[in-house]
Amino acid sequence: MATHTRPTEKFVFFGGKGGVGKTTMSAAYAVKCADAGLDTLVVSTDPAHSTSDVFDQRFGDDPEAVDGREGLWAMEIDPDEEVEHHLMETKRALGDQVSAAMVNEIDRQIEMAHQTPGAYEAALFDRFVDVMQSSEAFDRVVFDTSPTGGTLRLLGLPDFLEGWIDRLLRKREKSIDLFEKAAIGRNEPRRVAEGDPILARLQERKEFFEYAGRMLREHAAFFLVVNPDELSVRETRRAADGLADRGLSVRGLAVNRLTPEPDDDENGRGARYLRDRVATERAHLRTLREEFDQPVVAEIETRVEEVRGDFLSEVAAELDIDTAVAADPPSRS
Amino acid sequence: MTLSDRIDRFLAVVREWGAGLYHGLISHPAFEKVEQEAEDLEDSFMLACFPDAFGIPSPVSYYTAELLPYLESEFEAWERRMWNRGSMLERKGQQYHF
Repeated sequence: MATHTRPTEKFVFFGGKGGVGKTTMSAAYAVKCADAGLDTLVVSTDPAHSTSDVFDQRFGDDPEAVDGREGLWAMEIDPDEEVEHHLMETKRALGDQVSAAMVNEIDRQIEMAHQTPGAYEAALFDRFVDVMQSSEAFDRVVFDTSPTGGTLRLLGLPDFLEGWIDRLLRKREKSIDLFEKAAIGRNEPRRVAEGDPILARLQERKEFFEYAGRMLREHAAFFLVVNPDELSVRETRRAADGLADRGLSVRGLAVNRLTPEPDDDENGRGARYLRDRVATERAHLRTLREEFDQPVVAEIETRVEEVRGDFLSEVAAELDIDTAVAADPPSRS
Repeated sequence: MTLSDRIDRFLAVVREWGAGLYHGLISHPAFEKVEQEAEDLEDSFMLACFPDAFGIPSPVSYYTAELLPYLESEFEAWERRMWNRGSMLERKGQQYHF
C-alpha cells in the first residue's frame, strides 16, 4: 500500500534533470488522479512545453479539458505573456498617476525592469502562485516543472522575497514616521502612512509571498524523476538536498527509462548490450534505494513507443503514488 | 495707555522674539535634521528598489517597477539627490549646525 503523499498535499511537483521524463511522469500521475475520480489539473511551467505533445492537443494559458479523459485539465504557463501583461499594467498605472513631464523618465525605468534576468523567473513565479490561488475547482494540481536548476531557484523565491519585502516595508515605515515627526506643530508632513500607496502595495506583495511560501511548505509534495545513470543520480542528490534545505519535502523518486532485460536464451550482440546496460542500471538503482532518504516510488521501463494516449494509463498503473486528497482543501488566504 | 497695556505689549514682543529664537536655534534645525534623516532613509529605500538605475542589476526590480507610478516625486528628487551628493560625509555634515 503506497502512502507517499499526505492528504493535505494538494499541489504535486515533478522535477528533475532535463530529459528524464518529467512530463511523462506528471501526465501519468495526473491521469492516475483523474481516474481515481479527482478533478485534476496539469500545469506545465517548463518554457519548452511538451504537455501538448503528450496529450496530442494544444493547451494555452488557461485550464482546458483534455479530450477523452474524464476530470482532467491541462494548461501551459507562458511567462513571456505574463511579463508583457505586467508591463502593460504598470504602464497603465503610470499614465493615471504621473505628470507628462516625468512619464518618459519613469517609463524608461519600467521598461528596464522588465528586461532584467530576474523578470522571467518572477513572472513565472507570479503565474504559478496565481494558478495555486485560483485552483479551487480542482482537487489536485500537478506541476510539470522546468529542469532542476530553474525550479530550485523558483521555489527558493518566497523565502528570499519575504525577507526582502520585509526590509523594504520597514524602511518605508521609518522614513514616513520621520517625515511625520518633522512636521509636528507645523504644517502637513511630506508623507503620511495613512493611505500610502507604496505601503499598501508592499503589504499586498508580502501577503502574496507568504501565501506562496506556506502553500509550498505545507500543501505541496515533490517528486524527483530520475534515470538510472550517473549524471541523473548525482543531480537528483543535489536537487533533493536543495529542496530539503528550503524546508520542502521530497516524497519520493520516480525512476524512469529502465532498460528491459533480454531473455536468458538470447546471446546476440543486442542481448549482450542490454545485459551490460541492465547491470549498470541495477547498481544505480541500488544507490537510489540505499543512499537516499526518499523511497523509490516508480520503476518504469523504457518503451519503444512514445508515451501517449493509452500508454499513459499503463505508466500511471506503475506509479506507486497514492491519490488521496483532504476533505477540506487548503484555503486561499 | 495703562501700565497693564504696556506690560502686555512688552510681553508680546518678548514672546515673539522668544519663539523666533527658539525656532531658529532649536526647533528649525531639529526639523531639518529629522527631515534629512528621513530623506536619507528614503534614498536607501529607493536604492534598494532601483539599483539598476545606477547600473546594478537587481533580480527584484520586476516587482519594484509596480511601485514606480506612485513614486513620481520621490523618484525625481531621489535621482537628483543621488547625482548631486558629493560624499556621505558632506551630506551628514550638512545636518549639523556648528
